[in-house]
Amino acid sequence: MLECAELYFNVDHGYLEGLVRGCKAGLLTKQDYINLVQCETLEDLKIHLQTTDYGNFLANQTNPLTVSKIDTEMRKKLCREFEYFRNHSLEPLSTFFTYMTCNYMIDNVILLMNGALQKKSVKEIMSKCHPLGRFTEMEAVNIAETPSDLFNAILVETPLAPFFHDCMSENTLDELNIELLRNKLYKSYLEAFYKFCKNHGDVTAEIMCPILEFEADRRAFIITLNSFGTELSKDDRETLYPRCGKLYPEGLRLLAQAEDFEQMKRVAEHYGEYKPLFEAVGDRNGGKTLEDVFYEHEVQMNVLAFNRQFHYGVFYAYTKLKEQEMRNIVWIAECISQRHRTKINSYIPIL
Amino acid sequence: MGSLFRSEPMCLAQLFLQSGTAYECLSALGEKGLVQFRDLNQNVSSFQRKFVGEVKRCEELERILAYLVQEINRADIPLPEGETSPPAPPLKQVLEMQEQLQKLEVELREVTKNKEKLRKNLLELIEYTHMLRVTKTFVKRNVEFEPTYEEFPPLERESLLDYNSMQRLGAKLGFVSGLIQQGKVEAFEKMLWRVCKGYTIVTYAELDEPLEDPETGEVIKWYVFLISFWGEQIGHKVKKICDCYHCHVYPYPNTAEERREIQEGLNTRIQDLYTVLHKTEDYLRQVLCKAAESVYSRVIQVKKMKAIYHMLNMCSFDVTNKCLIAEVWCPEADLHNLRRALEDGSRESGATIPSFMNRIPTKETPPTLIRTNKFTEGFQNIVDAYGVGSYREVNPALFTIITFPFLFAVMFGDFGHGFVMFLFALLLVLNENKIKLNQSQEIMRMFFNGRYILLLMGLFSVYTGLIYNDCFSKSVNLFGSGWNVSAMYSSSHSLGEQKEMVLWNDSVVRHNKVLQLDPSIPGVFQGPYPLGIDPIWNLATNRLTFLNSFKMKMSVILGIIHMTFGVVLGIFNHLHFRKKFNIYLVSIPELLFMLCIFGYLIFMIIYKWLVFSAETSRVAPSILIEFINMFLFPASETKGLYTGQEHVQRLLLVITALSVPVLFLGKPLFLWWLHNGRSCFGVSRSGYTLIRKDSEEEVSLLGSQDIEEGNRQMDDGCREMTCEEFNFGEILMTQAIHSIEYCLGCISNTASYLRLWALSLAHAQLSDVLWAMLMRVGLRVDTTYGVLLLLPVIALFAVLTIFILLIMEGLSAFLHAIRLHWVEFQNKFYVGAGTKFVPFSFSLLASKFSNDDLA
Repeated sequence: MLECAELYFNVDHGYLEGLVRGCKAGLLTKQDYINLVQCETLEDLKIHLQTTDYGNFLANQTNPLTVSKIDTEMRKKLCREFEYFRNHSLEPLSTFFTYMTCNYMIDNVILLMNGALQKKSVKEIMSKCHPLGRFTEMEAVNIAETPSDLFNAILVETPLAPFFHDCMSENTLDELNIELLRNKLYKSYLEAFYKFCKNHGDVTAEIMCPILEFEADRRAFIITLNSFGTELSKDDRETLYPRCGKLYPEGLRLLAQAEDFEQMKRVAEHYGEYKPLFEAVGDRNGGKTLEDVFYEHEVQMNVLAFNRQFHYGVFYAYTKLKEQEMRNIVWIAECISQRHRTKINSYIPIL
Repeated sequence: MGSLFRSEPMCLAQLFLQSGTAYECLSALGEKGLVQFRDLNQNVSSFQRKFVGEVKRCEELERILAYLVQEINRADIPLPEGETSPPAPPLKQVLEMQEQLQKLEVELREVTKNKEKLRKNLLELIEYTHMLRVTKTFVKRNVEFEPTYEEFPPLERESLLDYNSMQRLGAKLGFVSGLIQQGKVEAFEKMLWRVCKGYTIVTYAELDEPLEDPETGEVIKWYVFLISFWGEQIGHKVKKICDCYHCHVYPYPNTAEERREIQEGLNTRIQDLYTVLHKTEDYLRQVLCKAAESVYSRVIQVKKMKAIYHMLNMCSFDVTNKCLIAEVWCPEADLHNLRRALEDGSRESGATIPSFMNRIPTKETPPTLIRTNKFTEGFQNIVDAYGVGSYREVNPALFTIITFPFLFAVMFGDFGHGFVMFLFALLLVLNENKIKLNQSQEIMRMFFNGRYILLLMGLFSVYTGLIYNDCFSKSVNLFGSGWNVSAMYSSSHSLGEQKEMVLWNDSVVRHNKVLQLDPSIPGVFQGPYPLGIDPIWNLATNRLTFLNSFKMKMSVILGIIHMTFGVVLGIFNHLHFRKKFNIYLVSIPELLFMLCIFGYLIFMIIYKWLVFSAETSRVAPSILIEFINMFLFPASETKGLYTGQEHVQRLLLVITALSVPVLFLGKPLFLWWLHNGRSCFGVSRSGYTLIRKDSEEEVSLLGSQDIEEGNRQMDDGCREMTCEEFNFGEILMTQAIHSIEYCLGCISNTASYLRLWALSLAHAQLSDVLWAMLMRVGLRVDTTYGVLLLLPVIALFAVLTIFILLIMEGLSAFLHAIRLHWVEFQNKFYVGAGTKFVPFSFSLLASKFSNDDLA
């Protein structure tokens, strides 16, 4: 890109940026959530959603309404928007979009392989896959028995291929190995995406790098947290950490040695950004979970991304915000349908 | 005219609808479109309202109808659109209708499902036959050309691909065959190769005819493939890959007899399926045809029903739950219609207690309703685009009808161009009943909606074109010029005269490039041209200088008249809203300020035109200098326009200077005095005093009633809100800002009207350039070839005239005319802070039913 990208940005990407900002204005507001929470049944929820940007996206659904129907329709809507963005994008924005989909593709591949392990039919799992991460070769994933098999036979030509370079092995794919594969894929994916944004420079780098750094560190924390009490060795654990976050390199080494939550918290306290997050986590008898705190922080970063212009981060931020909104709606819908109203308020408002 | 001058008087009415008859009453009201409902349940979210269930039912019906329309469209059955729109269905019929529709939907879904299944079956069978046909050739080819099989021992003389013989060899040869979509072939082959490491042999051939995809119904190209492989393991993988690429796999016959048998069986089955499918399709068509007859009216009915329930959701229940209370805005002129509609509604439903209405007093600002017809609508839209008028305020649209086209024409003055525009508009007006124009695309519809504006603009342009004497930049000599060139020659004058004047002789004419006519020589100027500019100016080199002076003065005069008119209209507003003090303290100082400075300027212009003639023109003073001197009081006396000019000017200046402080302080001080001396009178009374007076008795009556009912506290709260507090500082600030804006505006707005001159100059020059660059070139060539050249030149001239001069210039003149109205004219009196009256009317529902409307 040239030095004054602001001058040229709108030539190629101005239309899409305008669109995405318009879409962002359609996100549900606090007032909308307050109204949604008051709903008695899913039908009420549907009626209220009709007054928002979702429009009558559920109009063609036959009764009875279920949470999964709402979820699929919402995903479809997001997918339509995303496809539209993607089809109208030019390089390097289209590569950026490809990177964004890789995230979902990894999830889908892992989901399919897990499904194959549990001998579930491919069709059943396909319906659970995220539509943003669909690709043709996906259904053949369960042929493979080892990661290198998977790479050589199926994923060579997909955008996922470059992420395989350090997870080629001949181990059979059992549950643990799949989980390892997922984390390794994620690691190289995040690092590659980070490098792409960094090389792109300009505002895109300024916005996207912190977001991706946070994403990397979050993964590191979550991996650590999940590995407590498993047979995963500390060295193995360290190889799974994405090395593009703020924690790299000191924090990651410390994290690899951590043995319980308290030690992890101590590591985080060295970092000004993560200290308040860990302090916000409630104890066992209530309060927020670590996951929620991370989500909140992510939402905050994504909302802030809209404060600057002429960068690709808005697309990433919009997709993530929309996902968070969908999680919120699904959460509320689940609470309503299961008559579990006490926890209905623990959604994460966006605007 | 009366209705266009001010918006109609409105009143707030309370409708008491018996809950049994509410639906019918609203249906009657919706047909007539008389009233605008107020939302009484604003703080109730949409899913907690009373009639949510009914709305949901309507939505369910809409869903079914959308499905029906979709199916009908897919079957290519024409949808009859009824001419009249059927009324909302009576409640009794709704259930019946719902039942019918639901039954229809179930039936339809069943039949279509069967049909789809049959069709899918059929397509698969057809695919199978194709596959068998094509793969037969594969095998033959294999036998002839496949070198791999040569390795097998020569003892085996039978067909190498024979299944039995392979089994004897211990390797199990398997086949998978089927169809795959064209686009996926390459990737499919690659993956097969990668996964099976080359242990498979794939042959494929393109199918010559495209087939329908049984799942999506799309017609696409297919490839037939045959994969041969050894071993079970690989077989599983191959099958999985086939699944992944959504191949249609069919069993592969191992022997020739088997193949023949299968083929025969397939043929008979296809025959059978065809007949069954035809019968099903016929039946489906019958069902759809029957449904298509009523679907249009059903769609409209459901829409109306939904609209009614949405309105009912805005009503509140009274304490006894027996009747619904709605609050509506209604034009006073329509009150008896409203009563009749309510009676009709109650009679229809056969209720014992009729629904009735009550007028209730209010201090809230009613919405603005200005009834328009097709002629005035366009002009009203121009005004509304700036701001919908406040209630009962003078509506500038009435005057815009004349002033807008006129100001446009001043800028667009050309006889020829104006006539073309007029003809175009006339064409639209004469064809306005044709439906095609109504539904044409956006740009054409824009022109169509503004056809009457265009018509007037064209007419006025013809008029100003005559005044400017411009027809495609050329002048027309209709009455004969008032100038006589031959009188300038010395021979036509007596010797005595010749001595006093500078006359032409042969040498002068020969040696001078530019000659000047002198109007002071007798016989040269014989009097003004009867209409507009003398055509001789078209030949003159100093034409621009002359026209500029004329057009500049003209635009200043027009502008000041226009603005003064605006201020005068303000007086009408003050009179109507009973604020007489505003006339003395605001309008009159404003008028004085404007007239004493700029009115005097006009006076000077006209005075100079009238008093000074060609003979005395050399001693005429410059208006510019005189006007500047009016403010500067120069030491040296200039020779003025008339005697006593100085005193008059001093007086005018004093008046101007005095009007400024009055403008600044008059209104605030007066209001302050009123507030202190005679409190509670007049201050907070705005334009709605009239209504209050009418219904003062009802106030007391209803007041007690309301308290008894006890459910109106919230509304009462809103109604009291209009009683504002007296805030001297605020009033002073507002008035100061207004005054500064006005005084500065007088100067800047007058300058702004000079755009009339500028645009008219630009238009004239542009058309002149076009003529000089094109037509003059075409006309210069001599007669033999001239005709050939002239044709394309005229064509080009016509195209450029239309696109540059008519459309582009027309748009710019239109824009400037709009600006002159919105900014310079309307800010003198127009507040434009009202809300539009939007009646609950079925005619506003989208009556056209299209697919996207329903889907």
